[in-house]
Amino acid sequence: MAREISYAEAIREATDQAMALSNDVVVLGQLVDTPAGIFGTTTGLAGKYGLERVQDYPVSENLMTAAALGSSLTGLRPIICHQRLDFMLYSLDAITNWLALWRFKSNEKSSARVTIRAIVGKGWGQGPQHSKSLHSWFAHLPGLRVAMPATAFDAKGLLLESVFSEDPAIIIEGRGLFSMREHVPEHPYRVRFGQALVRKEGFDVTVVAIGVMVPPAMRAAAILDKEGISVEVVDPRTLNPLDRETIVKSTTKTSRLVVADPGWHSFGAATEIITTVTESMGTQLLCNPQRVTYPDSHTPMSMALEKEYYPNEQEIILAIRRALE
Amino acid sequence: MEISHSTIRQIGDYRLVNPEIAGGEIAIRLHYQMLRLRRLEEALRDEYHPADEMRCPIHFCIGQEAVPAALSLLLSTEDFLFSHHRSHGYYFAKGAPLNELFAEIYGRKTGASGGLAGSQDISHPSSNFYSGAILSGAVSIATGAAFGFQLQKKPQISVTGFGEGATDEGAFWEAVNHAGAKKLPLLFVVENNRYATFSDQLKRQNSDNICERVEAFGVRSKKIFGNDAPLVWQTLKDEISRLRNDDGPALVEAYTYRLNSHVGPEDDGINNYRTQEEMEFWKRNCPIRLLQEKLVATGLLNEKLIAEAEETIAQEVANCFDFAKSSSFPKVSDWRALNFNGNSPCADAFLAEENSAIFNPAQSEAKLAPY
Repeated sequence: MAREISYAEAIREATDQAMALSNDVVVLGQLVDTPAGIFGTTTGLAGKYGLERVQDYPVSENLMTAAALGSSLTGLRPIICHQRLDFMLYSLDAITNWLALWRFKSNEKSSARVTIRAIVGKGWGQGPQHSKSLHSWFAHLPGLRVAMPATAFDAKGLLLESVFSEDPAIIIEGRGLFSMREHVPEHPYRVRFGQALVRKEGFDVTVVAIGVMVPPAMRAAAILDKEGISVEVVDPRTLNPLDRETIVKSTTKTSRLVVADPGWHSFGAATEIITTVTESMGTQLLCNPQRVTYPDSHTPMSMALEKEYYPNEQEIILAIRRALE
Repeated sequence: MEISHSTIRQIGDYRLVNPEIAGGEIAIRLHYQMLRLRRLEEALRDEYHPADEMRCPIHFCIGQEAVPAALSLLLSTEDFLFSHHRSHGYYFAKGAPLNELFAEIYGRKTGASGGLAGSQDISHPSSNFYSGAILSGAVSIATGAAFGFQLQKKPQISVTGFGEGATDEGAFWEAVNHAGAKKLPLLFVVENNRYATFSDQLKRQNSDNICERVEAFGVRSKKIFGNDAPLVWQTLKDEISRLRNDDGPALVEAYTYRLNSHVGPEDDGINNYRTQEEMEFWKRNCPIRLLQEKLVATGLLNEKLIAEAEETIAQEVANCFDFAKSSSFPKVSDWRALNFNGNSPCADAFLAEENSAIFNPAQSEAKLAPY
């Protein structure tokens, strides 16, 4: 039977293998050298590679991002880790004004080989400062690749690909996914940016599901399958670059589109995906495109409100039914 | 009396320049480098209007030539230099080609950054020179380069040049904290010209004791009169030498003054942020004038040698203008390639191609805990 490991273990394995493959790979972040190791994703690496290469960093997120860029100019390939994406926002200057435009500003002569890992909390009252994803903000930026791995397989492959590529990337990891287990090959491999995956083929409706919305979208598809509704699930895997071709191809086949986006409703990734499809298909669509998103509201703490706030497979099923009406 | 902007003018005109600190040969080179930088900046300023062919903000550094001239004699190509927006002096200090500086400002494809960045964002990667407009951003990046050198046990050092305005930023203190904690091979060079645009340092900070503050973080510091070129050279030389021997980090605060406006050739005196008397003091005590007087007095320079230097520089500046003006404007065929490399030779070498759509969605999400 194929080996199964969790999403967190897959990230740890990718990091371990990257560090073994190249001495240029370093891991920076608060508490990366502790046994807890960023929810198990860096556990044991400090013992194996030393405290210089697996470096506990001051609580200076902006500096860490900028310094990662500076270190990459000397040949390093840093992975910087944020236990919560929200804390990373001090580094918006480093990301927006420096990292993302480094190649552009140097007229293609200089590369910023920086991988940012940013984890998004969900549940257990993470509340408004521990749960923001903001992937559409980052995907809006030229020069920064954005990945939203939904499975252990993709988490490993996208991290390795990011570390050993020449462009900076942010990998947004849904913490809800960390325990999910999947077949993951042991050897180091790559999942390329800009290649969406059709996770389930279907004919009646296309559901484009991003990051933590992939598991509920798959469950919704399985439930509707039993009713004879054939749902195709497309996982873009990365938002920048976005594999528009695969999304349009699927929607051209089904003529119906639902997008499940783990972000706020307005001006989000779902908006971009629906626009892409309508620009291509226009009136050929058989339904109005449907969005399943978080409300345009900050995240509540109370578990009662969390249930209302976060859409699950039931909301996706309702959206699919609306699309089929 | 400890040097600061408030004490400098109380002492009166500066009389302490001593070329012998650097030795005659270095002193003459310092003078020549300062004169080159001064003349090219003046030429750019004078050409800016009404020609209007330079269509980008330029922060001239007229009056602040001593630090760049000294660094130009002390840094190797392999050392990294990260500059703020007032970039020309630091670009010059790294020995990056001046014709590419001019072409960049003119927005031509032969510019150091292909005409994409302009004066305040220019870089020259093969000279290991980088700059940018956001205050202290380049300081933070310099910290990372120093970390990279330290980790890889490389002999280079990282230098960052900025004004006292950048020390308002929280990012600056994050960098100072980390440099001190990790003993990074990083040289902070503050050219304290008193004003952040039009704002006096003492309007923005409790005191002008930057050195005292960085010492508390484990960064040793020296404050000097920044228009005494031999002293600047000697101070930077000592610190760079210590950094090369794993004895870092250090900060040098050079008190100086920009004789031009904050940005562009226009007079910004309407903002009433500095007095005529203050400007006259600094004109009398500009670094070129101070050194030249001593060099002439000691016979190391004379009118003929100065005239020859002026002629060589004038020709160099003329050549730079010719190069810039005769170069083509850039064309972009692929905006995406400008922003993304796309190639991944390292990944090609290390990583296998795999794909898998297998996924079992019948798993519950991770149950989080307080931490």
